[in-house]
Amino acid sequence: MASSTTARIVRPVAVPVLGLIWLAVTTMPFLFMVMTTFKTQQESYSSSVWALPEALDFVNYRAVLAGPFLTYLKNSVMVVGISVTLIVLISAMAAFAFARMRFRLNDALFGLIVAGMIVPIHITLVPIYLMTRDMGLYDSPFALVGPYVATSLPISIFILTEFMRQIPKELEEAARLDGCGPFAIFFKVFFPLSGPGLSTVAIYNAIMLWNEFIFAYVLTSSTSTRTLPLAIWDYQGQYSSNIPAILAVVTLTSLPLIVAYAFGQEKIVKGMMAGSLKG
Amino acid sequence: MTSITLSGVNKSFGANFPVIRDVDLVIDDGEFCVFLGPSGCGKSTLLRMVAGLETAYTGEIRIGERAVDKVEPADRQVAMVFQNYALYPHMSVYDNMAFGLRQAKTPKDEIERRVKEAARILQIEPLLDRMPKALSGGQRQRVAIGRAIVRQPKVFLFDEPLSNLDAALRVHMRSEIATLHRNFPAASMIYVTHDQTEAMALADKIVLLHAGKDMLKHGSIAQVGRPLDLYHQPRNLFVAGFLGSPTMNFLEATFVGQEETGARVALKSGEDLTVPVDGSTLASGASVTLGVRPEHLAPVAAAATQTLTRQVRAVEHFGEYSFVYLDGGAAPLIAKVPGDGGLKAGDSASFAAPASCCHLFDGDGIALPRRDSL
Repeated sequence: MASSTTARIVRPVAVPVLGLIWLAVTTMPFLFMVMTTFKTQQESYSSSVWALPEALDFVNYRAVLAGPFLTYLKNSVMVVGISVTLIVLISAMAAFAFARMRFRLNDALFGLIVAGMIVPIHITLVPIYLMTRDMGLYDSPFALVGPYVATSLPISIFILTEFMRQIPKELEEAARLDGCGPFAIFFKVFFPLSGPGLSTVAIYNAIMLWNEFIFAYVLTSSTSTRTLPLAIWDYQGQYSSNIPAILAVVTLTSLPLIVAYAFGQEKIVKGMMAGSLKG
Repeated sequence: MTSITLSGVNKSFGANFPVIRDVDLVIDDGEFCVFLGPSGCGKSTLLRMVAGLETAYTGEIRIGERAVDKVEPADRQVAMVFQNYALYPHMSVYDNMAFGLRQAKTPKDEIERRVKEAARILQIEPLLDRMPKALSGGQRQRVAIGRAIVRQPKVFLFDEPLSNLDAALRVHMRSEIATLHRNFPAASMIYVTHDQTEAMALADKIVLLHAGKDMLKHGSIAQVGRPLDLYHQPRNLFVAGFLGSPTMNFLEATFVGQEETGARVALKSGEDLTVPVDGSTLASGASVTLGVRPEHLAPVAAAATQTLTRQVRAVEHFGEYSFVYLDGGAAPLIAKVPGDGGLKAGDSASFAAPASCCHLFDGDGIALPRRDSL
């Protein structure tokens, strides 16, 4: 009786109310950010935080775009593009081996790689900085590719291995009977069939690396080599910060991710859910 | 040459008991051979060994004159149809069928010719551009068969290909596979199933594999032969009990003595029966098992020699025939009688057990040799 009352009355009311509260909590910072970008620096200090801008003025965006923002954008696109491509390729190949090949150290190696997820990147900063300097890559966007790929591989291999374990073994056997060796089985059967898993890995890592700050801060120093997360530093001084300009940078930086997530969220969810249900 | 020869084949997984034990078998050119047995008896493993998908076994497998133990699956000239079809979900029907030929670098026009020919034979021409997810179970099975046909293999391997289909479609596809065998008379076929109806309907030769509690027999061949040979002349209790539905009635008995017409046995329920087998190796008083199939128990008006009298516990009517469940002896019996049998629960009824239809098994469960086959 009690459970049927819950089902009939409480649930239809409680779920939307809780949903609206959660929507407000998650949307407010975003609204605040976008709203503030249309205020002048002076207005942002003088008016209430939640006051609407006096005019729809794009002055902050113009200022940001007139600076080195496009250079940062180009660097980010290049570094994230190369890194994500390498992550997807390497992790898919490794996942195929872990999911499908029987060899003595399979489980041990898989455990070792997955254990890499618990290593905080901050303790690797100094050795990576020294290695990058010794290799002559310091202050180059390419210095970021190695650390980005290395730190992203454990979670990516973990996701894709689980995904590839779900692919029926008969498909692999059919491919063997059709004359495929391990590489052909991977590239012609497993790679195309892992689409949702690969999308998950690509989008997840693209988001993480797009926002990555600490490696970019440590391994690059010039305006011409830095990536987007460092752009806000151009508008932050020792004694004052241009908050509307900083938020304009953050808004412009977030836009590509919002677009990517809007189109790719279904695949992300599908990829994350892979293996959670008996299919 | 499309014969398949297995000599002294054994296979174990790790340190466990062998799943395949001492298999010696010859499948002749163009023969349709069915590997039959209960779940876990190793029939699929044996098929996969012929396909080259299972390695690390002892013994030798030959296809034609060639030993294939070290030959890759693609080079064995075999094609396999899987239980779950194993169609590549990201390829169209045409691409699924052409994939193996493309891997073998077959010229494009030859690929097209073979795919279209197979599609014509299987009546799937309108489906060639579709993706597998847009096909029904029966259509997917045809595509899987088509994928096998285009490779023009020496040996077709079927791993329980009909078990995912509904009953009506299963019967239909069964006849199509029989037609396929007629259309490709030179190719040998091995077909794995646990369904004795499929085996009896399709096979030139049945290989029945042991399973069960006796781990020393598990994975070995219980009997090889033509379907009706296995049905009418089972070599042991396992074969006798596996083939036939309902299963053969088994009655514990004591060997009384050998007579002119056969071995005389006394049932625990008191009846004496004669079975036309050679019991000369048995000592008087030895424990034996009498087997008689339900359809061979014929209702008679009154008890006489070679009859069993029991109490009817229940009757199941199926129109064309009825199952009569009998109690009262040392073990329950089932009789399959034509029509409704004219019996009802509680009746006392006598059933003739014709000597020629009775089987006798010694204490080890081995069938005693029939006098007509001596």
